Amino acid sequence: MKKLRLLLFISIILVSSKFGYSQITGSSHDFSGQSWNTTTEICVVCHTPHNANTSVLNAPLWNHGLSNVASYTMYTSATMNSTAGQPDGSSKLCLSCHDGTVALENFGGVTTGTHLMTGGALMGTDLSNDHPISITYDAALAAADGGLFNPTTTQSGLGGTITNTMLIGGKMQCSSCHDVHNSAGINGLLLKSNSASALCLTCHNK
Amino acid sequence: MKRLRILSCVLIILWLPSTLPSQSIVNTKHNLSVSGPGTVKATSETEICLFCHTPHNSRPVAPLWNRNDPGSNYTLYTSSTLQAVPGQPDGTSILCLSCHDGTVALGNVLSRTSNINMATGNFMPSGVSNLGTNLRNDHPVSFLYNAALAAADGQLRNPSTIPPPVTLKSGKVQCTSCHDPHKNINADFLWVTSQNSNLCNSCHQRTYWTTSSHNTSIKTWNGTAPNPWPYTPWTTVAQNACENCHNPHNSGGNKMLLQYQTEENNCLNCHNGNVATKNISAQFAKAYKHNISGYLDVHDANEAAQVTTMHVECVDCHNPHAAKNLAATAPSVNGFLTGVKGIDQNGVAVNPAVNSYEICYRCHAGSPGSPAAATPRVIVQNNVRMEFAPGNPSYHSVAAAGVNTNVPSLIAPWTTSSRMYCTDCHASDGTGSPAGPHGSIYPHILKRQYSTTDNTTESAAAYALCYGCHNRTSIIGDVSFKEHSKHIVGEKTPCNTCHDPHGINSTQGNSTNNTNLINFWTTIVSNSSGGIRRFDDQGLYKGRCYLTCHGTNHNPYSY
Repeated sequence: MKKLRLLLFISIILVSSKFGYSQITGSSHDFSGQSWNTTTEICVVCHTPHNANTSVLNAPLWNHGLSNVASYTMYTSATMNSTAGQPDGSSKLCLSCHDGTVALENFGGVTTGTHLMTGGALMGTDLSNDHPISITYDAALAAADGGLFNPTTTQSGLGGTITNTMLIGGKMQCSSCHDVHNSAGINGLLLKSNSASALCLTCHNK
Repeated sequence: MKRLRILSCVLIILWLPSTLPSQSIVNTKHNLSVSGPGTVKATSETEICLFCHTPHNSRPVAPLWNRNDPGSNYTLYTSSTLQAVPGQPDGTSILCLSCHDGTVALGNVLSRTSNINMATGNFMPSGVSNLGTNLRNDHPVSFLYNAALAAADGQLRNPSTIPPPVTLKSGKVQCTSCHDPHKNINADFLWVTSQNSNLCNSCHQRTYWTTSSHNTSIKTWNGTAPNPWPYTPWTTVAQNACENCHNPHNSGGNKMLLQYQTEENNCLNCHNGNVATKNISAQFAKAYKHNISGYLDVHDANEAAQVTTMHVECVDCHNPHAAKNLAATAPSVNGFLTGVKGIDQNGVAVNPAVNSYEICYRCHAGSPGSPAAATPRVIVQNNVRMEFAPGNPSYHSVAAAGVNTNVPSLIAPWTTSSRMYCTDCHASDGTGSPAGPHGSIYPHILKRQYSTTDNTTESAAAYALCYGCHNRTSIIGDVSFKEHSKHIVGEKTPCNTCHDPHGINSTQGNSTNNTNLINFWTTIVSNSSGGIRRFDDQGLYKGRCYLTCHGTNHNPYSY
């Protein structure tokens, strides 16, 4: 029984780490303690319950200033079957901080901020060294590429198919890999653990 | 305990990836993470893709490359027949080399601030996977493969017809043309199986190859060392195909990516009785042979048909891409000699040789180092093409049917209109020996004994070579030359004393003095008392000789 109890204990730890219960508070997206955030709030940097910016379709009550970048340099590759257009959808929301053109404190109508993103999370406007986003990922693409799983039939491990649990409107966006609210509690705000590159290999049939 | 087992099961199921692809990088040696199945792997790093790729802040090189270029200067493959122009590795090849040249730490990736710790040391361990910076012994990469190249080479597919999944990368052959770094379905991460050289054949379309024994033979190895196929899992000649001789990486020979630098070893590791039925190797242990082991790196695949630098290798007479077991009738080349360069009777290079003797003429028709005539004679000629010329007063019927229509000694099926091969006389001795002039216990690589010692007691054995076709009873029965018995039996004079077996060239001899292959051996035959050394043909079975031999003055003797 001692061994059983030990195994139970280990299993609880393991399972809780897999189906971790985490939140934005304390994550790298918790800006409440940042000097540039005078509100001390967390959500307000991105969201507002009223008078939200609706210029991006389906944006979740957006509160942060959006980039005016007309053209990002997108990733290209000779073997890529998809065509990466300009970032759209929710990825534009991410880039409103991560392209480094809009000050972090430019939210809630503020336009005069001075703190631009720096460091490893800064993507810039040259996205040629970043995984392509805003690409339609469907069964046809998977078939054409040969190195991608069919998103409409492949389970993501997140409770449904890739299409249903990772894509937005059939498109691969930043949020296909990242959970900005850190609900999985994984370093890098990942949607699921990348141990054994499990996140990459969810879509890539490699 | 039962509960314990159930709990264990549950745990395992919980931890299995939700989708477990049947073939994935996860199960290959390219999974360098701690979970990898190979020996080269990290001590604790769990991610797999990051050893090569990163989703953000990659190098500006597709596919989202996470490694620095080695910056090495590579020694490239060259060959005298190479039409392609390999450059320094680029494209995906340089990505591969950032591990496989052994100069960059395996765990040195951009997305980590320090090197990932590897269980087997920082760098690619030495061995077949570590190509080093000397790519001289590796299949060339990073060269443009276009229709012009295919046309110039003549034995490559037009690139538009290369069957997927083998592909060019931006028009070039790269490592990833042959290898799929993510999946190891066909071993060695090959896109297509190497069995029957399917992979090689995706691009290479060797002339003659389809019917070559090296492509079709189902012979297996008898297990006696050396292993002819140490680097492949295949067990028949046909399965090994190209890899019977070639090794696309770390070839021992550099040249033509041959397995072994010592040219003949590429052949004799099979042709020693261990795979091929005939033991060719044993022939080369004999005293008289085409001395293939005497030359190294002299033969060149691109050399002229008329050999200009003395050497001999198996491939001077055989085309391993073409050779097959197919009989022929003289003078035509047989299957073993298919697809080989030659020099025709007019001295013109031909490719392929149509007649077997044309292959011999590559060296024995005036090439430097070709053996001088063994016997000092009145008329000296070292060029066998001249000796066999159809316009000659007499010759053995190699290049044309013989001149003499009255040869009563001929043993059926030989007739005066028969054609013969050089190899009817010059071949390995011994019953059951492989055909061809590989090696013999008899001088001049003769098939049977041909005594050339003066005062030899006549016997069937002493002149077994001649008697193989010329009936001994007829010869010493004096059916043609009435004094044969007197000379051969009585005076113990070898055939070689009076007869010059190849022939006498028309520019030196004539149809009066040099019929019947008469060209005296000057050491034995000297001038007559009248100062003459000459044979005069005086019609059928008639003639006269002016000479002195064994102390007897012929001044002249007529018959």
